[in-house]
Amino acid sequence: MFLQKLQAFLPYMLKYKREMTIGMIALVMTDMTTLVIPWLIKEFVDLLPQDPSRSVLLKYAGLLFLTSVVLAVGRYGWRKYLFGPSRKVEFDILNRLFAHLLTLDKSYFQQQKIGDLMSRATNDLRAVRDFVGLALLILVDSTVVIIACVSLMVWINPGLALSVMLPLPLVSILFFKFIKEISKRHQVVQEHLATMTSHVQENLAGIRVLHAFAQEENEKKKFAGLSREYIQKNLRVTKLFGIFTPSLMFTLGVAAMLSLWLGGKAVIGNEMTLGSFVAFNGYLMLLSWPMMGLGYVVNLTQKGLAAMGRIQEIFTSKPVIYEGEGEAADVEIEGSVEFKKFSFAYPGAEAQALSQVDLAIPKGQTLAVVGRIGSGKSTLAQMLPRFFDAGQGGLYIDGKSVREFPLAALRQNIGYVDQEPFLFSVSIRDNIALGKADASDAEIDQAVETAGLSGDLSRFPQGLETIVGERGVSLSGGQKQRIALARALIKQPRILVLDDAFSSLDAETEEFIIKSIKKTVAGITTVIVTHRLSLAREADQIIVMDQGKIVERGTHLNLMQKGEVYSGMFKNQALARQMEITLQ
Amino acid sequence: MSQEYSENLSDRYKDWTLFKRIVWYLKPYGLLVIVAIVLLFAVSMLNLAGPYFTKIVIDDYIKVSNLEGLDLVALTYLGVLAVAFVCQFLQTYLMQYIGQNVMYDMRTQVFAHLHKMSFRFFDKNPIGKMVTRVVNDVEVLNEMLTSGLILIFNDLFTLGGIFFVMLYLDWRLTLAVCIVFPFLYLATQAYRTRARDALRKNRAHITGLNTFLEENLSGMATVQLFHKEKDHYRKFENINKDKIREDLRSLHYNSVYLPSIDLFSALGVGLVIWYGGGRFVQEEIQLGVLIAFLQYLQKFFEPIRDLAEKFNIIQTAMASSERVFELLDTPEEIPNAKDTAPAAQIQGKVEFDKVWFAYNDDDYVLKNISFSVNEGESLAIVGATGSGKTTIVNALCRFYDIQKGEVRIDGVSIQQMDKFALRRQIAMVQQDVFLFSGNILENIRLGDRDLASEEVESIAQAVNSHHFINNLPYKFSQDVREGGNSLSLGQKQLLSFARALAVKPRILILDEATSSVDTETEQHIQQAIRQLIQGRTSIIIAHRLSTLKHVDKILVMKKGEVVEYGSQQELLKKKGVYYHLYNLQLESPSTSGQKAT
Repeated sequence: MFLQKLQAFLPYMLKYKREMTIGMIALVMTDMTTLVIPWLIKEFVDLLPQDPSRSVLLKYAGLLFLTSVVLAVGRYGWRKYLFGPSRKVEFDILNRLFAHLLTLDKSYFQQQKIGDLMSRATNDLRAVRDFVGLALLILVDSTVVIIACVSLMVWINPGLALSVMLPLPLVSILFFKFIKEISKRHQVVQEHLATMTSHVQENLAGIRVLHAFAQEENEKKKFAGLSREYIQKNLRVTKLFGIFTPSLMFTLGVAAMLSLWLGGKAVIGNEMTLGSFVAFNGYLMLLSWPMMGLGYVVNLTQKGLAAMGRIQEIFTSKPVIYEGEGEAADVEIEGSVEFKKFSFAYPGAEAQALSQVDLAIPKGQTLAVVGRIGSGKSTLAQMLPRFFDAGQGGLYIDGKSVREFPLAALRQNIGYVDQEPFLFSVSIRDNIALGKADASDAEIDQAVETAGLSGDLSRFPQGLETIVGERGVSLSGGQKQRIALARALIKQPRILVLDDAFSSLDAETEEFIIKSIKKTVAGITTVIVTHRLSLAREADQIIVMDQGKIVERGTHLNLMQKGEVYSGMFKNQALARQMEITLQ
Repeated sequence: MSQEYSENLSDRYKDWTLFKRIVWYLKPYGLLVIVAIVLLFAVSMLNLAGPYFTKIVIDDYIKVSNLEGLDLVALTYLGVLAVAFVCQFLQTYLMQYIGQNVMYDMRTQVFAHLHKMSFRFFDKNPIGKMVTRVVNDVEVLNEMLTSGLILIFNDLFTLGGIFFVMLYLDWRLTLAVCIVFPFLYLATQAYRTRARDALRKNRAHITGLNTFLEENLSGMATVQLFHKEKDHYRKFENINKDKIREDLRSLHYNSVYLPSIDLFSALGVGLVIWYGGGRFVQEEIQLGVLIAFLQYLQKFFEPIRDLAEKFNIIQTAMASSERVFELLDTPEEIPNAKDTAPAAQIQGKVEFDKVWFAYNDDDYVLKNISFSVNEGESLAIVGATGSGKTTIVNALCRFYDIQKGEVRIDGVSIQQMDKFALRRQIAMVQQDVFLFSGNILENIRLGDRDLASEEVESIAQAVNSHHFINNLPYKFSQDVREGGNSLSLGQKQLLSFARALAVKPRILILDEATSSVDTETEQHIQQAIRQLIQGRTSIIIAHRLSTLKHVDKILVMKKGEVVEYGSQQELLKKKGVYYHLYNLQLESPSTSGQKAT
């Protein structure tokens, strides 16, 4: 089990085996050299009563300095060649992680929280890095130093060594136990912090309501309560810390005291020289850190393995949408669409979002999809670019199942614009050029024109170069929607899916845009999901959806004559529309 | 892309100013801080006892073979250790206690300050950023206070302590060792400037990397739709490369600087061996002193190394404090009036007198607006999107301050009223209903948390929301967030009506929702609106023609100006916009919602 978990690290570490070997050699060299210094001091102390000459003293000083030079070089070596690879491993894993995330599809991201994925890419990755660098370092360092120091101490005076070292294992155990308990309490603190974070988040999201109801004082009180609780939970951790660190120092102090006391007696009893006594104390001092280190290693390893497990979870998730064979460039799409007995349920949901949909859109025609919120309109639209893989039945483009197309070809030929388009925090131009990286200025201008953006852009001092703020905050909803349209149009799709894409625009602008699309892009198949029936009116075919089913279909005229769902909706909206016109 | 996320590398505040400001937060705990520092001092000193005991053991006992005295020394040493244990426990706990309390103070202060900000501020600042200020940045500051400050004091005490003990043991030897310091100083300076730069850049790259990652995770569907996987991977890799470059650079500085301290330490030790050894030979100095000196010297460099290792924490904390203070220094845009008259129950007469308002500079969205609504009257505002309807009600609640003219309630300018008292008497129903986590009951009594549940139920009944609430599995205790958006749009609206009614407002503002709901709910809503405006001053931003029939006065807005204003009769006679709307209403194919009127 343990080895299996370790295996996940191997490929990343093997890549840097040369550097890590150098690092390890440097580390062992450092440790060995560290041991020389107390020995040199021992020799020096034992030499002193013999009235050494200045030159002999200078020789010792020189030797000591030389040793330190070696030590410094060693320390430089392991820092650079053990910590270096750990950073590079972090770099590699992060790159691979992002590359893998790019292959996963929408159903995966719907089930994951972004915050959780981010935490794996940051916190967990840091734990992995600490395992690869720090834990390995401490493990080797502690083992070498402990073995060497203990051997030397036993060699100097076995009896003294045994009694002095009695309290030392306590340090490791203490450290391990403490870390375990502290991570438990720390977990509680972290959970509370998460509660506080979501509280603040909600408060800010609903701040307009809170201020309207003059709830500032109450909210401050609530938050103060949460903060107070947070302190208490933190102090529970502190109490442990407060006891732990001093007990550690105390245990180490007792060992030093024992060494001084029993060692002093041994010197007086002529069992050891004064120099040996000093060296013995020196080695004891060297032992204190590795003793703590062993406990720390256990903790770092636990954390590192658990973190790697969570990262591996992402790596083992596979995309569910498999694409067809072939080169994207070779595929030509004409643009006829057909749903045959098409049903779909979201992953994990019981109810079907679409059931038994039969629908054909001939090439170049326009379909309008109307219906209430939650009736399945958007789901239907999202099936075309294959954000999800269909459950049952088939979806055909040009008579061929969508599963047979390479995804790149399909998505290249389908323009999809939704209600809340995602814009990147780059310039407007770059956002539009997302659709076609090598787009010329003329092409961009054309797309801007068709999307009815020219007027808006002329009002921005920097025009196309205006940077879209974080999540597009600096733009209005309608501007964002039209940028998204331009971005879809520039790739010259054969099928255009407008999923309530102009909800933030007024009806006239919307109509103008639809007309300009039809005019500039001849023969494009269009699917319009909309709440505005004035738009539907112009479509070649209208379907009305309810609970995932098509409840009415036909042209505007047919459906008005029929006088059922659609005509009712239409009349209501016509009134609201006239009201709007009157007020304009 | 880099200019978007890169942290502002130039300092807005000087490090020293920031540090002073952070320390200022310790003021309320002055006494405790002093105790903590005294304890810290004691701990640092007691921890230095070891080598001194070594000196005593060697010079006073081993040399004269005094066995009994040795026992006494050991016992004393044990006593010192015990005292150190107690002091250290108290000190650690005390310092954390202070740190946690400071964090509490700072966090509640930042939170309170956010609540002082106006809508204009929230329009501009993304939520995520503000959450980071309140939660993470303050957290980092605490680390700086508790770990950083302790570290500085501890290290300074240790450094000072060792220095003085060494001076006391042998001042000549100490001065000899001082030769090392200028070199140490130069090395530290060289390290500090470089490491600081690398760390700052590294941090900026980490921010950039995380921003890019988060953005791409949120917009993954778009990335895939446009088949930009390769492109974005390349960009990501480049930022990651920038990051690791700085990472390795700061690692390099550490790798050079930290071992260099060993060399300085060795230089010192070498000096002691050569010079001190010589003095011992000449019998100017005792052996124990020499050994203790060597041990102290080795301890002397530990705090210096420590400071370098913790440099990163302090740097990060400085960046965080900069951001926190920047927020705290953002002035309150709508200050509350001073010396307000005691908040009396208002009657509800609302007057707008030649009001002008602009969100930006001279771009006025309200131009010379005047109207009045008498106590208990209702007014409907109609107008196209962007005509300024919502701005009017926002100005009435003082969510924004107007530039010219005056808004009066009961004849008193609202700028002279306590803004909280003002808002408490106004209930506002917004178009998009925001529900807070918790159950239905808690959401209804948002404005008055002491309301008894029977009262809440009767309020719910008054606005027709009891039907659906009683159909929920847990009725009033139903959690509103559980199972996603379990409530429909119409139900949420009814709930927000109940929430408004629960504060028993003198003035009601209703921003009618535009979205359509099913006919049955629509009926409930229309009935509830009539109930709501009964007997209180009401201002309704109307989107439905049917609503216009229930009100006393109508205000027609166009591009920030009033085009028509008056009672139904007056406006009908005028044969203007309203007349037109009225006719539309008559011609309209009656839907059941409107038929009910």
